[in-house]
Amino acid sequence: MNRSAPRSIDQYLRQLREELAGSDAALIQDALYDAEEYLRAEVAAHPDKSESDVLELIASTYGAPDEVAGAYRDTEVKVKAAMATPRKVPKSRLGAFFGVFLDPRAYTSLFFMLLCMATGIIYFVFAIVGLSLSAGFAALIIGVPFFLLFVAVGRVVSLAEGRLIEATTGVRMPRRPVYQGSALTFWARIGEMLKDRRTWTTIAYFILMLPIGILYFVIAVVGLSVSLAFIALPIVAVLAQTGLFGLGGVEVFSHAEPEWIFDSGFAIPILGVAGVLLLTSLMHLARGVGRLHALFAKSMLVARTASNTPQTLESGAPLAATAPR
Amino acid sequence: MDDSNERKFQKELNGGLVGLVLLAVLAQSDEDLYGYEIAKRLASANDGTSIFKEGTIYPVLRALSAGDLLTSRIVPSYSGPPRRYYRITEQGRGVLAAWKLIWAGTRDFVDRFTEIEPSKIGHPS
Repeated sequence: MNRSAPRSIDQYLRQLREELAGSDAALIQDALYDAEEYLRAEVAAHPDKSESDVLELIASTYGAPDEVAGAYRDTEVKVKAAMATPRKVPKSRLGAFFGVFLDPRAYTSLFFMLLCMATGIIYFVFAIVGLSLSAGFAALIIGVPFFLLFVAVGRVVSLAEGRLIEATTGVRMPRRPVYQGSALTFWARIGEMLKDRRTWTTIAYFILMLPIGILYFVIAVVGLSVSLAFIALPIVAVLAQTGLFGLGGVEVFSHAEPEWIFDSGFAIPILGVAGVLLLTSLMHLARGVGRLHALFAKSMLVARTASNTPQTLESGAPLAATAPR
Repeated sequence: MDDSNERKFQKELNGGLVGLVLLAVLAQSDEDLYGYEIAKRLASANDGTSIFKEGTIYPVLRALSAGDLLTSRIVPSYSGPPRRYYRITEQGRGVLAAWKLIWAGTRDFVDRFTEIEPSKIGHPS
């Protein structure tokens, strides 16, 4: 190590953050959290020593910031490599198009789109109620504590949303909350909270999730019902033709209006094929929406760190080469 | 630095061993443990200095947890941020049993080549 050893917890965390610069923002948040847990426990375990005395020995026990940073980067890459199921790379364009059905991310992303309606409503109500009650209580003595409670609960909710997004889209999100540190006074903490850009983007995210959730839900439901209905049509037609069951008086081959669809059996397989194409497109769309939404959520919910490097889709650039797209 | 080769070798060895040791420690423990506690147990088992840097066990704990080998819960703490307590899962115990066999086999194999016979220590011929 060629720079001065950290003499305080804050210095250590700053150096660790610098060492991790350029890594995924979520990974940095986790690493800082773990380090702070250890360092504060270590300082608390040695009440007879000063913080700088304890920190002097940290490099030989916990490890210097550069070593710890290396450990996080290595583990992250290894875990990603081990957890990522090797996907077969479809050779033909047709294979690439229909290969989406083999990708679990497409299904989970579609599920996420459906779920967004419910979570969107909950987040929206939470944000609006929290904001308006905070405004209403502002003149009273409970105004400030209420607002703090609102923001604190919001952080927990945003962490949960991050976990949901990581589970459904596979994009790395924080696994630990941001720990603010206990050194600040009560009023200083409030000031920090109000100045923190993330406090406001989180609330904005909650509010935006209602229209976004409705949009996702509509796209998913309309796409699913139309494409599945088209796919079911030839099957139903064949079964009805064999007399297996009636269609409640509706004839598949009818000469009634509109004639141009069902006056011959010709349109039925075409609609069936169209349904398959539509469903496949929907799966592609869901996967794309899932990824884009995860990036959006990351920009709104995860604190900006020292690094301003643009985040790639999935962290761990070396792995991007092995996974298609 | 002179010992850089040794440190590099130790680091490479530790790669897979940290996970095995962590699983074993948690399997032996009756109660849930948090990162700092585990680190101190490892250190005390080796006369106060852990073979691997304690900072390296946290990412491995999270990786094991992500693989469903450990479960965790968060408990508030007075001294700092809330602590994450870990407990081994049934799946984790199964993996540990398999890893132990692999480790025993590897150790025996390596020993066959590197073992210094007790009679030779101090009696270089």
